[in-house]
Amino acid sequence: MSVLLRVENATMRFGGLVALNDVSFSIDKGSVLAVIGPNGAGKSTLFNVVTGVYRPTSGKVVFDGADITGKPSYEVVERGIGRTFQSSRLFSDLSVLDNVIIGMHTRTTTGVLDALFRPGKSRREMAACVEKAEALLKSGSGDLFEQRYRPAGALAQADRRRLEIARALASEPKLLLLDEPSVGMDETETQALIADIVRLRDVHLELSVILIEHDMQVVEAFPDHVMCIDYGSRIAEGDFAAVRANPRVQEAYLGKAAAHA
Amino acid sequence: MHAPASSVAPGTGQAIAFTVLSQLAGAAFLYFVLKAEGGWQIVGLLALLGAGFYLLERLPWITDYAMASMARVPLVTFATAAVVVLGFPFVVGSNTYVLHLLIVAQLYAVLALALNFQLGSANIPNFATGASYGIGAYVSALLAINFGLSFWLTLPLAALAATLFGFVIGIPSMRTRDTYLALVTIAFGVVVQQLLNNFDWTGGPNGLVGIPAPSLFGHSFADPLVVFGWKLPSQANFYYLSAALVVVAIITAHRLHGSRIGLAWNALRADEIAAKAQGINVAWYKVLAFAVDAFLAAFAGTIYAFYVSYISPDNFTFLVSVTIMTMVIVGGMDNIFGVIVGAFLLTILPEKLRAFADYRLLFFGVVIIGFLMIRPQGLFPQRMRRYGGEP
Ligand SMILES: Nc1ncnc2c1ncn2[C@@H]1O[C@H](COP(=O)(O)OP(=O)(O)OP(=O)(O)O)[C@@H](O)[C@H]1O
Ligand SMILES: [Mg+2]
Repeated sequence: MSVLLRVENATMRFGGLVALNDVSFSIDKGSVLAVIGPNGAGKSTLFNVVTGVYRPTSGKVVFDGADITGKPSYEVVERGIGRTFQSSRLFSDLSVLDNVIIGMHTRTTTGVLDALFRPGKSRREMAACVEKAEALLKSGSGDLFEQRYRPAGALAQADRRRLEIARALASEPKLLLLDEPSVGMDETETQALIADIVRLRDVHLELSVILIEHDMQVVEAFPDHVMCIDYGSRIAEGDFAAVRANPRVQEAYLGKAAAHA
Repeated sequence: MHAPASSVAPGTGQAIAFTVLSQLAGAAFLYFVLKAEGGWQIVGLLALLGAGFYLLERLPWITDYAMASMARVPLVTFATAAVVVLGFPFVVGSNTYVLHLLIVAQLYAVLALALNFQLGSANIPNFATGASYGIGAYVSALLAINFGLSFWLTLPLAALAATLFGFVIGIPSMRTRDTYLALVTIAFGVVVQQLLNNFDWTGGPNGLVGIPAPSLFGHSFADPLVVFGWKLPSQANFYYLSAALVVVAIITAHRLHGSRIGLAWNALRADEIAAKAQGINVAWYKVLAFAVDAFLAAFAGTIYAFYVSYISPDNFTFLVSVTIMTMVIVGGMDNIFGVIVGAFLLTILPEKLRAFADYRLLFFGVVIIGFLMIRPQGLFPQRMRRYGGEP
């Protein structure tokens, strides 16, 4: 299998705080990597470094053979990395459909002059986007398609998470980054989410997914490749059983739990 | 949403009747406002308008019904609108004051539509639209006076010059946001006005005089317009010219709004980080909004310069930018129809309420604060895109 994303010695400092400490890992084409770790471990920061929201203090991000370290996020999407946000960042005053269509920005081409002087081309492009977006909304669990004209801000929590995923998929990514997709979902919704991810991989055999999760049910469903981060450092990597059995991982979780108790 | 679908979907006959009658009613209302004299008539008409908006607010199906009707018979809608716009000067007759108000209102409608790309679509506060308007006016006037270029040639050249200016003010927008950006645009506006005031070649505070009237097919716009034996005052020429510009502005706004560009602006308005994560080059789209705004504003400036034939820096003050901003906020951000209504109301009302003449800035300030507090979405709120789906 060939490597799709490789992160080399990534370190991210915010002032005195080391959010990522010399983290290296890679993910193969068509595979799933689950990233776990206690609150504040640096998981979301890892996504932000990969997608160009932050430029790492040191280290390198190589995607699909190209060095993308510190490239602006809009360029990273174009290269094929789609993502969701932990605290869902939908365009809440726009319709569900528009949210997905905006996700196709890098796959459409109409410029100002086209829009003004070749309205036919612009309209055809939009019509194609609407069709694709509706298909995406129909393909996931839930009834997003029926709610496509509602403002995204009016959706229930589980639907917001689903819409984030649909929007990320709209950019036809090679790598999909999901930041705690199951947050705010109940048992059934979480199972449906797992089924959605499984189905997605069946349809797109080349698609790779990195999944940040607190819900071990979800991690268990994708047990082949799991990585645990604590205090910014990668403390364990392997299959789910091995990572779970790792004493440092247990300490990281128990230590936090003890501190909370 | 609330009313059952059947009561919202009008039949063809109903739709035709509704679109024709509602547009005629709107035109009649505008006519009476323009003709009204004395405070009480205006207050009465305003009360009527207020009642109308109250109804629209309480009974949202009216708006849905109106949209559905117009979508059902688009040709009838456009034909009626054309008849109303073309016929209005004939009803107004020789009243040049009313024609003047209409010309100014239409130019402001274009300016407000221009600013709407930024303030409405992308939520970028730009207080320099008045400056772009002025640049359009000065560039075209200077070209006409010094080089004898015709109006029709100066029109695109002025727009080009202003667009460049738009790109220049747009650049700081890549780095600054919100309040700071607003301050930067205010500074730009003031600097432009001061430069116009201090350069020799712009005529300084005296401005430029003797801008020649445009002509088309040998007909000078300074002459009365004779149509089928009807003689309309020379202002009618500029009325039709500015109406044509309004049409251009509406088409521009409509096409951009319906394209991926309008969506990108809306996306960065809602959440810049999320917009970038969708592949939108936020900085470029902001600069683009400045450029499009300046482009359209310059068209309005050119027509204004050739219409009044005399311009000075006083025509393009900070107050003008504030006025345009008020129109967008009152009319409804990102709603093309609303913005035009806002422009007409806020051009005509202050003219009619002469008592306020000395307190214009105060008046606009109070209106903006009032709207932002009570009805931030404006008279006509933004509507969801439907892509030919159910209304
Ligand atoms: N922009 C920033 N500026 C300063 N500190 C930051 C910034 N972003 C993240 N941090 C800090 O970096 C650390 C890691 O945060 P991060 O959000 O990556 O954690 P996480 O593993 O995603 O946690 P959670 O499970 O709670 O989402 C935290 O201490 C956080 O406060
Ligand atoms: Mg996180």
